[in-house]
Amino acid sequence: MSGTVGLVLVSHSADLAAGLRDLLRQVAGDAVAVTLAGGDDDGGLGTSYELIRDAIAEAGSGEGVVVLPDLGSSVLTAKALLEQHPDPKVRLIDAPFVEGAVAAAVIAATGADLDTVATAAEEAWHARKL
Amino acid sequence: MPESSETTVVLPAHLHARPAGQVVVTAAKFTSTVEIVYGAKTANARGVLALLALGATAGETVTVRATGPDAPQAVEAVATALHTTE
Repeated sequence: MSGTVGLVLVSHSADLAAGLRDLLRQVAGDAVAVTLAGGDDDGGLGTSYELIRDAIAEAGSGEGVVVLPDLGSSVLTAKALLEQHPDPKVRLIDAPFVEGAVAAAVIAATGADLDTVATAAEEAWHARKL
Repeated sequence: MPESSETTVVLPAHLHARPAGQVVVTAAKFTSTVEIVYGAKTANARGVLALLALGATAGETVTVRATGPDAPQAVEAVATALHTTE
């Protein structure tokens, strides 16, 4: 898994995070580390500080990690965690969840650096579907 | 003056998520800038979302265009990726 930027998917729903990872694997292949922080500590809908922390640690390679939250408390919890444990190689990204993850994963699969992967995810705001 | 090269591909399948991902990964192996042209739309092969937004469907013809020192090789590789992905 080394050599590519890793992705962390933070979602209220473990199923949503896992389903998105399935999609990323199909589009971008298996070369990119994609780890999940889905749901709360009890497996219900919600957000877990600990799951996010663990997912970041698991995704970490020397190349860096982008953290993609879905919405609401996923964003707030990830933001709080990264403010308490700042790391220049771990970047919280403001992007549409599905599109940003797909764009980031594919670019990461090419071996792109952290800045490039982060920018690709953020540019997903401007990608029209039709 | 950078070299440029292009070819056309009749898509065997819709340019959907998986082939679009393959195009990006393939194009990234070259230094040339690669674009896919479909009708009036042009997408840089660096952006999977832009490729998807082309809306190119099976049986349609797209143009693969590259500009740069390895343009012919880039065009050939991306065209092959478009031919062989499902």
